[in-house]
Amino acid sequence: MSQGLSEEGHATSIARDGRDGLFRATGEEWDLLIVDRMLPGIEGLHVVRTLRAGNIHTPVLFLTTMSGVGDRVAGLNAGGDDYLVKPFAFAELVARVNALGRRRFAAPAGTTLRVGDLEMDLLSRTVRRAGEIIPLQPREFRLLAYLMHHAGEVVTRTMLLENVWDFHFEPRTNIVETHISRLRSKLQKSGTTNPIQTVRGAGYLLHAIS
Amino acid sequence: MRFPRLLRTTSFRLTLLYAGLFGASVLILYSAMYWYGSGYVASQIDRTVDNEITELETNAKGRGLSGLRETVDAYARQAPGDVYYYLSDRNGRRLAGNVPALPRTLGITDWPSRHRGGPFPLARHSVRGHGVLVTDDAYLFVGLDSFELHEMQEMIGRAFLWGALATVLLALVGGTLMSLGLLTRVEAISQASREIMAGDLGRRIPVRGSHDEFDHLAESLNAMLVRIEGLMDELKQVTTDIAHDLRTPLTRLRQRLELVNRRPNSPEELKAALESSAGDVDAILETFAAILRIAQLEAHSSAMGFQPIDLSEALSEIFEIYQSVAEEEHHTLTAQLAPGLSILGDRELLLQLLSNLIENAIRHCPPSSNIRLSAFQSADGVQVLVADDGPGIPQEQREKVFQRFYRMERSRSTPGTGLGLSLVAAIAKLHRARIVLADNNPGLRVELVFPAP
Repeated sequence: MSQGLSEEGHATSIARDGRDGLFRATGEEWDLLIVDRMLPGIEGLHVVRTLRAGNIHTPVLFLTTMSGVGDRVAGLNAGGDDYLVKPFAFAELVARVNALGRRRFAAPAGTTLRVGDLEMDLLSRTVRRAGEIIPLQPREFRLLAYLMHHAGEVVTRTMLLENVWDFHFEPRTNIVETHISRLRSKLQKSGTTNPIQTVRGAGYLLHAIS
Repeated sequence: MRFPRLLRTTSFRLTLLYAGLFGASVLILYSAMYWYGSGYVASQIDRTVDNEITELETNAKGRGLSGLRETVDAYARQAPGDVYYYLSDRNGRRLAGNVPALPRTLGITDWPSRHRGGPFPLARHSVRGHGVLVTDDAYLFVGLDSFELHEMQEMIGRAFLWGALATVLLALVGGTLMSLGLLTRVEAISQASREIMAGDLGRRIPVRGSHDEFDHLAESLNAMLVRIEGLMDELKQVTTDIAHDLRTPLTRLRQRLELVNRRPNSPEELKAALESSAGDVDAILETFAAILRIAQLEAHSSAMGFQPIDLSEALSEIFEIYQSVAEEEHHTLTAQLAPGLSILGDRELLLQLLSNLIENAIRHCPPSSNIRLSAFQSADGVQVLVADDGPGIPQEQREKVFQRFYRMERSRSTPGTGLGLSLVAAIAKLHRARIVLADNNPGLRVELVFPAP
């Protein structure tokens, strides 16, 4: 994992157990912590709870083995920011690491999102492309909002399912694909270019610059 | 080995405790008898002695000290041998009586027997008597041999000895029998437990039918064993399922890899082979996750963490999500949802259940089918229906489709794990919901009834 993340351009460091991890997470500055739920020494959940109690708000991505709903909720309640179930595709990990790492530096959320010629007003819930209003269904609006929040990053199908649909399981129909393709065609109605790119084997990408 | 074991049993210890307690109460009882009996006999003696003194004084009335002396002499001569008289003048000189000498002790006195150096030469027991001052400051003593008192005390002592012995013996014998009886029943339970541990999971603890505490214990333990056996069977089923359903895709994956390995490939071919292998692994992992998830849901017996859920809202969300998906497959998805339906449950699991049912309809119906989602309050509780006009499920297969990995003949060619409806059944069971597959004439109608919260 460390090697893969390094190849993606991240600098990584490994703590061998919970105690070491807690110690280093407190003593040094990090952009993101990846914490396994099952750690020798101090349990992962406990590590994060201790960090949060100590007012350290470094984003945390929990890793866990295949398990139920309760685990995920417990992880998020303890102060985790995201949750990934093993085994996972590496692309999934990279996408989540990028999303969490960037969250730190993201500008405080205003009422308007702007990506290229796309403009979204979160209060009136309207979307304009090159000044022209594009009517969207509520779900399509949520989908586009999520993509715009993560403009320039690859977001995976699972991330979309979790954040846009609130589905924490794998549906067997093409929910995401269907909605993406509808959104795409609405955004392209006026003969403009397609802003949502499909990244093969990884997910979708909304271009920051069009 | 039997005897030490008996000594260590709780009931035997209790027996010993009771034997001790009984012994102590017998001791207290006899002590009280001894105390009051002695007091009574002593007071009888005192009364006799006082009567005697009064009689002497009455007989000698008006005749002065010499008259009293004569009277005492006459009485002493006639004395039956256990009555003692003594009269002395103011200087302590003996005047009359059947006692050689006696100090002037006033009031009631117990003189020891002659063996203990008492002043009465014939007294075999202690002598209890009353010393008084009479005419001319003379001293008169009348005493009685207290053999009655001694006899009574001895008798009580003997009675105590036998009584206590019998009580303790009875307590010990009874307690031993009782503990042996209890031990037999405890032994039966541990024997059964050992056999179960040795692998005979079908074994049960014998119930005697006497409806006592041991029967209650045996019944509770048996109920627990039934649950454990059920869970073990589930586990065995899961293991078998995994072995059964994962062997095929794993074999296929292995063959593909062998094939790629055997002949030289272009980079493109290698990449394609790797990608399809990764796809195979994903499918295996998906099956694996689904099995574990079902097992986990089935192991949950309680509705922990359930909260009131706005089912109408969840249903309309599901409807909104799947409407476009259905359209894409050229189906028509319609909904008729009563507002404000509320149940106790887990929202995430319910979403999964509902989406599974809708997806089943979308996937198994031929194009341009009608799928209808409806929900309303009925007398039984909240009812949710997912109905389609597709091929339906024949009557005889409607129970089987809930089994793990069961796939109908016509759907074997389509992708799927054969676990979707098992998962639906597990989630429904967790919500205590009844699920029925019915004929929609034509098509399938899935009826879910959630009990009123």
